[in-house]
Amino acid sequence: MLIDEMKYITPEISLLCFALLIVVVDLFVTRKGVLPILSVIGALVAAFFTVGLWGNGGISAFNNMIAIDQFGLFFKLLILASLVLVVMASNKYVLKFEKFQGEYYAVLMLSAIGLMLLVSAVNLITIYVSLELSSISLYALVSFLKDKASSEAGLKYLILGAVASAILLYGMALTFGLTGSTGLTAIADYFRTSSTASPLLLTGLVLIIAGFGFKIASVPFQLWVPDVYEGAPTPITAYLSVASKAAGFAVITRILMTAFGQPDWLHAEWAIIIAVLAALTMTVGNVTALVQTNIKRLFGYSSIAQAGYLMVGLAAMGMATQGNADIRSGIIFFLFSYTLTNLGAFIAIIAISNKIDSDQIADYTGMGKRSPLLAGALTLFLVSLTGLPPTAGLIAKIYIFNGAVDQGLLWLVVIAVINSVISAFYYFRVVKVMWMGEPASQDKVTSSWPEWTALAVCCIMVVIIGVAPGAFVGLTQAAVKMFGI
Amino acid sequence: MNLNLLSWIIFLPIIGIIVIAVLPKPGQKTVKWIALSFALASFLISIAMFWMFDRSGSAIGHMQFEEKIAWIPAINAYYHLGVDGLSIPLVILMTFLGVVSVLVSWKIQLRPKEYFIWILLLESSILGVFCSLDLILFFLFWELELIPMYFLISIWGSGRKEYAANKYLIYTLVGSSFMLAGILSTYFITHTFDLTALAGISITSSFIPLTVLFFLLIVGFAIKLPVFPLHTWLPDAHTNAPTAASVILAGALLKMGGYGMIRLCVSMLPQIAVQYAPVMCTLAVIGVVYGAAVTMRQTDLKRLIAYSSVSHMGYVLLGIFALNQVSLAGASLQMFSHGVITGLLFAMVGLVYDKTHTRDLNNLSGLARQMPIIVVVFSIAGLASLGLPGTVGFIAEFITFAGSFASITIAGMKIFTLIAVTGVVVTAGYMLWMLQRVFYGYPLDKYNGVKDADAVEMISTFSFVAVIMAVGIYPAVLTNVINMGVAPIARLIGM
Amino acid sequence: MLEQFGYVGIFLLIATGFTVLIPLLPKLFKLMGLIPGKKTAAKLVQYECGMQTIGKTWVQFNFRYYYFAVLFVLLDMLTIFLYPWAVNIKDLGVGGLVAVGIFLVILAVGYIYAWRKGALQWK
Repeated sequence: MLIDEMKYITPEISLLCFALLIVVVDLFVTRKGVLPILSVIGALVAAFFTVGLWGNGGISAFNNMIAIDQFGLFFKLLILASLVLVVMASNKYVLKFEKFQGEYYAVLMLSAIGLMLLVSAVNLITIYVSLELSSISLYALVSFLKDKASSEAGLKYLILGAVASAILLYGMALTFGLTGSTGLTAIADYFRTSSTASPLLLTGLVLIIAGFGFKIASVPFQLWVPDVYEGAPTPITAYLSVASKAAGFAVITRILMTAFGQPDWLHAEWAIIIAVLAALTMTVGNVTALVQTNIKRLFGYSSIAQAGYLMVGLAAMGMATQGNADIRSGIIFFLFSYTLTNLGAFIAIIAISNKIDSDQIADYTGMGKRSPLLAGALTLFLVSLTGLPPTAGLIAKIYIFNGAVDQGLLWLVVIAVINSVISAFYYFRVVKVMWMGEPASQDKVTSSWPEWTALAVCCIMVVIIGVAPGAFVGLTQAAVKMFGI
Repeated sequence: MNLNLLSWIIFLPIIGIIVIAVLPKPGQKTVKWIALSFALASFLISIAMFWMFDRSGSAIGHMQFEEKIAWIPAINAYYHLGVDGLSIPLVILMTFLGVVSVLVSWKIQLRPKEYFIWILLLESSILGVFCSLDLILFFLFWELELIPMYFLISIWGSGRKEYAANKYLIYTLVGSSFMLAGILSTYFITHTFDLTALAGISITSSFIPLTVLFFLLIVGFAIKLPVFPLHTWLPDAHTNAPTAASVILAGALLKMGGYGMIRLCVSMLPQIAVQYAPVMCTLAVIGVVYGAAVTMRQTDLKRLIAYSSVSHMGYVLLGIFALNQVSLAGASLQMFSHGVITGLLFAMVGLVYDKTHTRDLNNLSGLARQMPIIVVVFSIAGLASLGLPGTVGFIAEFITFAGSFASITIAGMKIFTLIAVTGVVVTAGYMLWMLQRVFYGYPLDKYNGVKDADAVEMISTFSFVAVIMAVGIYPAVLTNVINMGVAPIARLIGM
Repeated sequence: MLEQFGYVGIFLLIATGFTVLIPLLPKLFKLMGLIPGKKTAAKLVQYECGMQTIGKTWVQFNFRYYYFAVLFVLLDMLTIFLYPWAVNIKDLGVGGLVAVGIFLVILAVGYIYAWRKGALQWK
């Protein structure tokens, strides 16, 4: 029964209730400080329900529209965690759009709902609908500052997003037309009995990869990233770079594994496409990042490069017969540590930019003197993004590259490690600016306690994962359990 | 009985870091004493461990003080520590340099809290490299060392410090990236990260040619050692680093390269090592001669010592790729000897610079009158560096050359050795010339006010001298242990 | 499968045919003599019924019309879902009632929002 299956989407429902509650409360309450608290409570309640569903491995609900598996549940928790951290980091930032705080939090939660549905969707229709729910919310959030840059960013994101959606939809339509089904498992059933690839079907597959390539910012669909990242409110940039990207990777992993994972001739087709795209993505991202002067743009390009490393994992997954579970857990682990690292970096950037009101790297000069703690934390995250110990970044890279070497992708790994070296140039440029050189002013830069808390959580997690990753690797290994495989 | 001595040695400095970090606004003195006491504790434990080290014949080829705990089960990575005769001298060297480098920086004024945190982290990471028996753990410590060194050079350095720090970072990262690819390929071929299991394993691979694997692994070590065309980061890093960082850099960090070559490249792929030994020996000889020649031209004291390191590390490379038990033992001892001698030389240059505020040979003259103690110690270091009998430098160079001259593993070793020996002659030339220009000749009036070494400086420099002389007079204390370490490796090569 | 697409094809054919047919009808009627073919000035105007436009077409509308249009859409949604529910109220039972209740609450939030934000005031 439909009603009985409602329990499988309790996390989303509870989050929706809180989103609506926030809209209403915002109308009647003058002390807006209650809104972020409500959002955090909402996310925690949703997380509670999500954890309650854990262990319910591999069932589908609503006529194979949504799957409840540990893969999806893990990503739901990751999305909720980034939601909480972004809300905490927005604490001071929302004063820039004082009149619309309620809308800000509510729309943020709506986009989280979209992403949560996206990671558990097992039908092309649900995938598309939840993708749109999250995207439309994000279009609004990107242009929330209402100034020139932000509006431009919003418009760019909207137009390019719409094009990407159309491409995706076209790919889905072709797939549906040829396989006769929109359910991922049903598509897989079709392939089990067929032995050749029709050119139209491959076109459909390529179009689907292209559509999600936009979401995960892979070359050549990365052009929106720098402008949108620069123009958007910084917490939203953070959210885009982690939650939206993690969900994008989750859903493309699911589609490729579930629908296009068998038989052998099929996954070899997309593996090579993704391997080439991965090499291009990280190289373009890293090389372009070298010349950036705006820290948000720099992180935009850096996130493109990081997507490239993740795609190395995707390519390795395609190379493996039977969809090696270790490689999938490598992708999940990378996303996990990348989320914490990048989010942490953005929280530090938000805290600093609240005070100095600038995103220019040059204005970070002497930040080590003005705020040793913020600069120290940002340094730790930059070290992690470079992939140096004792941080999560190194372990994640080793884990994901290990899988790739295992599948004979040594050439790709060599390109990736050379890229890590290139990335050290621009990550350490920021470090250098912060710790060397005299500050422009002697004003101390401090922050509010929610930001400190969020920052501390990220710092501690990044170091713990970097030093003792055993337990977290175990968690991601549990999270590879996917419906239909 | 398992006291986890190695873990204590590695992590005592890190505990020191935590203590320094959590103390609210500690005074400069407190920070220094905390750093010193933790470095000293680590040193004392390593001495105790050296004392307890099993020197009996049955212990040959076995790791001692092993610790093994599952760390990342998914990729078979263990927290696996252990030392053998090859690594224990280097561990002692590092803990010793850790204590001395704290003493050397006793007068540091700029941001002392961060400074000592980085020094201690550097010590921990280098110790970790020497003690790790798991490739991933090895790599982790290998990379960890980058960060403190980067900050030490770029914040507390002098001259073109940011350029030097970046150059150091990029060079090392390039090397370690290839190393990571090599390590992962190794795992793919052998399905283990365990260094003890990898030594002497017979590897066959259809995945990548073993030659490629060998060069993927060796590039990182070659950059660190440094081997001739990859050495250009070293003079810049040394010249611009603060004294203590130079001491550790020359003393222990370069040795990571030589240690890695023996531990990974030679032990794991002995056949390939034999095959490419002529190439490596050619590079070694070029390094020795070129390094020595360039040293002659230097006018900056620190740069001079730095280039002499390039020349002296050439002996290490020659010793390793002569691939003979004696030469390997010589190379290991040369690493230790170069560590203490060059460490002392850098400490002395630092002292001279502190007093006179210049490192330019053209501006220095006749300091022997003003600072007699410094002159004596500096001269001992210089003479040890050129291999005067009675110092550890002589023993190390002698064993290296004796071993490589006698090596029959590869053809033409005698010629290589003979060319390399000329390096010793040139060393005598530039060392004596340098000492003569700085300390003798006409005393300059402008240096009349400079003071000689004070108590702290005397403690640190005299302890160096003690080590240099002690091992020089009774080398068996180290060579016995080193022989235990290199014997199984020499057996692998089959010579 | 093909059959289902066939229905779509027939639908497409009918739609195209209908659009082509409508403009042709007057000609047809005229040929048949059902209507007179006199051309007057009023008949030659493109927009035949209603009033003649006055002034330029670039008129500025008050943007509050837009608010009302959006609110009207909201109301439309209400009818679209409430009407079929009302027809089947017995079959849908308590579950249906709860579902419609949730639906109404969500819409009500929208109205409350519009009210508090002043979208209902004309000033």
